[in-house]
Amino acid sequence: MGLRQLLLVIERDLRMFIQYKFLLIMRGIWFVSQVALFGLVVNQMVANAAAVAGIDYFEYYVVGVTIITLYSTAMFIGYDIFEEAEHGVFEYLLTLPVSRRELVLGRSIGGGLRSFIYVGPLMMVVLLLLGVSNPLHFLIAFAAMFLFAFGVSGMSITLAVAMKSGDKYDIVIGVLDALIVRLSTTMYPTLYMQRAAPAYAMIANFNPLTYASDLFRWGTGIEGTLQFAPAVGILALFIFFLAFTFVGVVFYERRLEGGSWQ
Amino acid sequence: MFKSEFDSYFFLPIAGANVSKCPVIQITNLTKKFGNLTAVDHLNLAIDEGEIFGLLGPNGAGKTTTILMLTTVIRPTEGTATVVGYDIKKSPKKTREMIGVCFQEPKLLWVSTAWDVLNWHAKVCGLSTQERKEKVKWALEEMNIWDERRRSVHALSGGMKKRVEIAKILIQRPKIAIVDEPTAQVDVVGKHRIWNLLREMREEGSTIILATNELNEADVLSDRVAIMHKGRLLVCDTPQQLKDNIVGGDVMEVQLEKDTPDKVISELKDFKEIVSVKQVGSNLLRLYLNQVEAVTPKIMELFYDRRLRISSIHMSEPSLDDVFAHYTGLTLEEAEKVG
Repeated sequence: MGLRQLLLVIERDLRMFIQYKFLLIMRGIWFVSQVALFGLVVNQMVANAAAVAGIDYFEYYVVGVTIITLYSTAMFIGYDIFEEAEHGVFEYLLTLPVSRRELVLGRSIGGGLRSFIYVGPLMMVVLLLLGVSNPLHFLIAFAAMFLFAFGVSGMSITLAVAMKSGDKYDIVIGVLDALIVRLSTTMYPTLYMQRAAPAYAMIANFNPLTYASDLFRWGTGIEGTLQFAPAVGILALFIFFLAFTFVGVVFYERRLEGGSWQ
Repeated sequence: MFKSEFDSYFFLPIAGANVSKCPVIQITNLTKKFGNLTAVDHLNLAIDEGEIFGLLGPNGAGKTTTILMLTTVIRPTEGTATVVGYDIKKSPKKTREMIGVCFQEPKLLWVSTAWDVLNWHAKVCGLSTQERKEKVKWALEEMNIWDERRRSVHALSGGMKKRVEIAKILIQRPKIAIVDEPTAQVDVVGKHRIWNLLREMREEGSTIILATNELNEADVLSDRVAIMHKGRLLVCDTPQQLKDNIVGGDVMEVQLEKDTPDKVISELKDFKEIVSVKQVGSNLLRLYLNQVEAVTPKIMELFYDRRLRISSIHMSEPSLDDVFAHYTGLTLEEAEKVG
């Protein structure tokens, strides 16, 4: 695999992302309103109940929204793929002296990296709000976020390549968003899911968003104890990244070479 | 000895001067099926190094599918092809390193600028920083879109987008350049500029596959053409040979100053190149013939010997449209409707 070609594919996705100024501004407004409006108001409502569980709900929620933003911006690469298929750019990319593996791996990394670049300043805001009690924990959690973002990006590409219709992709992503975000600990702890329905908590235990948000909370020090060891969380995100990047690449390669994406 | 020297001085074809009789692309039984539809049906072709090879046919003939298989975008259902010795199935990346494509519909994402599109393309094709800057600037100027280089491509006209697409292969200078309808939506001046640039690329060593349904363009540019219809190869030869193969395809109308004697008509019919003679008026003859270049001096000589003064001559040779109609029984437009 050529590193140069891989970097060029990543560079292209980063450059493209910067062009989506409108989307980036809107996402920024969404994030601020979620934190400054929804987070603050809901915190007033649930603060006492959350305190019983030893949680400052506002802090808990701010981390969750950051992970949701990271997730949704990493998912955006799938829309790019449909946009490219619609404009025929996909065919152009497939005629270049870049192997399918370089192309898909590059896009998966590029998609994750650009979401990180976007979420980076938002994370800084979060850190200013929350502070960091243990820098080492934070660096480990930060590195794990990369694995998470690349994995989400790979998942988005898998779905985009697997589906032939952009409209269907839109609907599936909408439903997936609803399920994957709500069946995770991004917005509420497992304890409350367990009380609502044990199955919810069980599913949340296998959700990469749960690992990402809980690890990030651990990294910032707002939640002293994790329900899993940090190493387990990192391993889970690593498996998620591997599954949708490396194993997925083989799957995409077959589909792309066969032309069945057309 | 003298003859071969004479031939080399006077009969050297201008188009195809650098053609080497060594197939740079060898297509063997290439087939692509989409469900029940056979888009390309056991295609066999050999394309020589340094030639401009026209791939002709109506929409749906299988040209684009063939191109997509040659560029390894889609995998053949059956058969294969080698590109500069690389098998498209076994060595797809090596194959792609040899090929540059100018697509029929420009493949440009709306958020990019012309400069970004070309600069990134040049990078992927391995050009150094300095070389890249020079070539991208040169190609944009050649295509007359330098002033538009910073505009989003969605703001460009169809013709300008097409020029950006052409600029990709001008920068890349691939061993094999595949150009699909290179002058579609381009104005007349731009069209001739693109034709000249394609010829220049060929002179510099590129082999060019020209896929088009504009038969005049293929006639002007191609050393050889292959005509496809319904996924199959109908015929492949030089444009001249294809036209010569149409019996009675050349038409000569001779207006004489006085009535044509029957004896002269009979003598004209004796020429083996003349397929038929039609007396349109008392002093107007329409001759259907082959190899107009060879027989014209003989016809002139006959009229001169018989003291028949000519007031006007009008000659027309068959076009590639006629060739297509000859082999399919359909005009290009009819073939597109039939599918």
